[in-house]
Amino acid sequence: MKDQQIIRQAEPQARRWLVGGRVQGVGFRPFVFRLAHRFSLTGHVQNTSSHVLIEAAGEENMLDAFGAALLAEAPPLARPEVVRAEKIFYRKRDRFEIIPSSATAKEGIHIPPDYFLCDDCKQEMLTPHNRRYRYPFINCTQCGPRYTLITKLPYDRPNTTMAGFELCPACRAEYENPCNRRFHAEPIGCADCGPQLFLSSPRGVIGGGPALAATVTALRQGEILAVKGIGGYHLMCDAHNEAAIERLRANKFRPHKPLALMFPWRGADGLEQVRQELEIDQDFLAQELLCSPARPIVLLRRRSKSMLAESIAPGIREIGAMLPYSPLHHLLLDELNKPVVATSGNVSGEPVLTYNIEAEARLAHVTRFFLHHNRPISRPADDSVCRVIAGKTRFIRAGRGVSPIELNLPGLFSRPLVAVGGHMKNSIALGWNGRAVVSPHIGNLDTPRSMAVFEQVISDFQRLYGVVPQAIACDAHRGYASSRWAARQDLPLVRVWHHHAHASALGIEHPLDLTWLVFTWDGIGLGEDGTLWGGETLLGRPGTWRRIASMHSFRLPGGERAGREPWRSAAALCWECGIDLAGEPDLALLKNAWGKGLNAPVTTAVGRLFDGAANLLELIGRASYEGQAGMYLENIADVETGRNTGVVDLPISRESSGLLIVDWKPLIPALLNKEVPVPQRAMQFHQSLARSIVAQVQRIHASTPFDRVGLTGGVFQNKLLAELAVSQLAAAGFNAYLPEKTPCNDGGIALGQLAEAAFSHG
Amino acid sequence: MDDTHISLAHGNGGSYMRELIETLFARHLVNPLLNVQADAAALPFMDGIIMVTTDGFTVKPLEFPGGTIGSLAVHGTVNDLAVSGATPHYLTLNAFIEEGFEIVRLERIVASLASAAREANVAVVAGDTKVLPRGEGGGLYLAATGVGVKPKNVELGLNRIQPGDAILLSGPIGDHGIAVMLAREQFGLSGELLSDAASVFPLTQALVPLKGLRFMRDPTRGGLTTVLHEICRATGLEARLTQVAIPVREQVAAVCEMLGYDPFYLACEGRVVAVVESTQAREALARLQALPQGCQAAIIGSVNIGRAQVVLETELGGERILDELEDDPLPRIC
Repeated sequence: MKDQQIIRQAEPQARRWLVGGRVQGVGFRPFVFRLAHRFSLTGHVQNTSSHVLIEAAGEENMLDAFGAALLAEAPPLARPEVVRAEKIFYRKRDRFEIIPSSATAKEGIHIPPDYFLCDDCKQEMLTPHNRRYRYPFINCTQCGPRYTLITKLPYDRPNTTMAGFELCPACRAEYENPCNRRFHAEPIGCADCGPQLFLSSPRGVIGGGPALAATVTALRQGEILAVKGIGGYHLMCDAHNEAAIERLRANKFRPHKPLALMFPWRGADGLEQVRQELEIDQDFLAQELLCSPARPIVLLRRRSKSMLAESIAPGIREIGAMLPYSPLHHLLLDELNKPVVATSGNVSGEPVLTYNIEAEARLAHVTRFFLHHNRPISRPADDSVCRVIAGKTRFIRAGRGVSPIELNLPGLFSRPLVAVGGHMKNSIALGWNGRAVVSPHIGNLDTPRSMAVFEQVISDFQRLYGVVPQAIACDAHRGYASSRWAARQDLPLVRVWHHHAHASALGIEHPLDLTWLVFTWDGIGLGEDGTLWGGETLLGRPGTWRRIASMHSFRLPGGERAGREPWRSAAALCWECGIDLAGEPDLALLKNAWGKGLNAPVTTAVGRLFDGAANLLELIGRASYEGQAGMYLENIADVETGRNTGVVDLPISRESSGLLIVDWKPLIPALLNKEVPVPQRAMQFHQSLARSIVAQVQRIHASTPFDRVGLTGGVFQNKLLAELAVSQLAAAGFNAYLPEKTPCNDGGIALGQLAEAAFSHG
Repeated sequence: MDDTHISLAHGNGGSYMRELIETLFARHLVNPLLNVQADAAALPFMDGIIMVTTDGFTVKPLEFPGGTIGSLAVHGTVNDLAVSGATPHYLTLNAFIEEGFEIVRLERIVASLASAAREANVAVVAGDTKVLPRGEGGGLYLAATGVGVKPKNVELGLNRIQPGDAILLSGPIGDHGIAVMLAREQFGLSGELLSDAASVFPLTQALVPLKGLRFMRDPTRGGLTTVLHEICRATGLEARLTQVAIPVREQVAAVCEMLGYDPFYLACEGRVVAVVESTQAREALARLQALPQGCQAAIIGSVNIGRAQVVLETELGGERILDELEDDPLPRIC
């Protein structure tokens, strides 16, 4: 027996691995190649469209070690999953090689997001005698653009926007050398053969290094510049220059909405300058997030001694900060050595601009300085935005570096589906064969460009992933541009209730046999009774939601206009309570119309309660961006003194239908009580809503068991409310969850629609 | 006629009905071709293409600032002929009156109808009256058929629209929609704003001789946006509007602002949307502006190659897709 074993070990064997997960475009094949050499194996590795296929021969213990290292030592960006491992017939081979891709089965395709500049490439870029010294498009298998570069699969250079750049001999040698870290790094190039910068300005067009230097000079002089990056253009200006920012705001018609900043990478951990301006010392998760390959915008509190211009985020203590992610950003910020405003180069609400000519035309009213490059962007990807809420990373916007977001949902989809998302903050999603993929943030679908990108992304996703949907999931609101588009397609339509989609986008992240009680609080969405929901408590699980509780309804005077004019919600809340505000004669016409229900739809939306509260506290009359009133209210709430102000109890009553109704009316006199300072009243408002969540949970749990509590919908982007609710629920013995994979706002709707459609129609 | 209110007897074919027709309708609408004793009217020979249109009128309230259901019946019917390139000549009229309707009120309405017909130079040549039992009608409904003549060489239609054509609007939008709404809801501030209801024939007559005139329509229910959607759907082209160019009266804008309405969807009853070949757009504009009814006329946009959608270039330099009107649109965003 013992002898036999020895003999078997000595005999060479052969095995085959089929590896799925994220293994393409992340340097997985060169890694396999190097690993095979280390373990003295022969054979080959090959990309199929969807997987990596490995056949290796050698000694058994070496094969074992190789198999273990495949997962344990995989490159940082790879997420390999062994689909199959099997013994195969041994055939003697001379060496281990990487053989060309085969384009066959498509179902396991993974499209990587766009990555940062890795440390190795950064080092080269900053090394004077390196041939890519200061080259703004340096990358390798471990970094650089992917999603915004790919035009077709499999992921090979001719199928990217680099197809037009022929490799020079030096780059080709790296590209073809299996031991080089640029082996088959599809987007590589150098100053000789790759993409180039050029600055177009009133002084003419200049290229290369001088373009970069002139850009830095212009920024220093207070100019606004459009800078083409990875997923589109940024509009940049000096973050310490109040006048430049005011000009940017005026030209972009963006009076108040916070502007994101990009900080230079400084100090050992890159965060030195961030630390000077923003509170991050204790927030290790935020530090990690800022430096992560996704390089999102992270919302952080401004330090009291910050030198940043006030106009970056008027009325808000938090500022969105990010670190450079492309080599160009690194070079630019290094040279400038101070933070810049880096806001999406777009027309408000639209996807970020990507084409040079279009950017010049559509941003002409903002700037005459354009730092272009000639690497095309195949589709836009806005920067991702995160906020740390209840100890975890929450997406406010999922985009560049993060999306496409993938979820494994084994057995969920009996037919391929496409979900077209909501109307605002739109994203789309595909679901098939146990997988769901959610697109980056697209935008608000009110404009031609948003709709064009929406259609392009739907078509690109189907083509790239090789999925032919057999049905479309859309919102039940027929007026959404996405729903209208869906209805025009020649496919079965599954109309999904807005808040069911919200609840399912959360539920789908967890085991599907759990029963949930989910608070879906948002702006507005069409509800099952034809009114505009937004303060609902749903019981069930994906596919079986039932409204069990709701805020007391009220009428929104002026309909859609109420979204941008918080004073309307305030007036409505007061009128519902029989209170007339001062200066109201002007509103006689509106009140009359409201009384008759003329363009005054019925809603239960908590988002509108926030609007009303912010207006009653005289924080805002009209909003210039979505969520402004809620943000002001959260911002001004004083956590310390507010705790002692007392909580307003919101009575719960039961309708004959069994539906529980939460009465918000007691909040109104409390909000109007001018004897209490505004910061305390704001805190009291948050506390009271959090308390109401706990009260609902306890009351419902007494009669109807559930496993978990969920908090979702755009209202829960409010960190103060979410954390109050989570901690108070924990104290009462309930675990509460917010979405982690997708934003809790309408950016998550497409994923929820997929889940609902999968359950409702098999 | 001694009664003060309409009774079922006024519709039973007997003497009450004859009396109502003779003393009320015929007295106001009198003209050489109208013969209340005849079953049909004989029309003289007309050279050209004979155009016929028909329309029903159910507006509430029946009387509003700037018009009544009677004048509206004339204007609505005449305008359908006018925007088709025709000269309106004759109308027929059906009145559906609810039992209990006040006769003096009926008289006022018929008088305003007659006066509108005289101004529009059309003759009511046939008519009928029915009385509906109490509760089965909204007071008064009218139905009218119009007959007109179009010169043989005038060709207008959606199929003639070409990319690059200019879109003209003859005057401010939304006056009718807002005036009627304010009157219907008894908001009590309707006095300042009058409905725009009027015959558009002077306007269309001024444009018809232009060779570059492609198409005309009066933006009634669903307003300007609905006309443009018809253009997009029929041609597969994009309609692009410049917001600042579109005339909207201050009072209309203020009411829309307060109540959350969009003037681009509000009904007009005396405006014309015309699509004109771009090189004749200025000439067309000058012809409209030369008329009192067209003094605020404007070139508001163009038809272009692109997606079949209506795009508004906003005052702030952005773009907004104007969707087709839904039944009672619910807010999408808030």
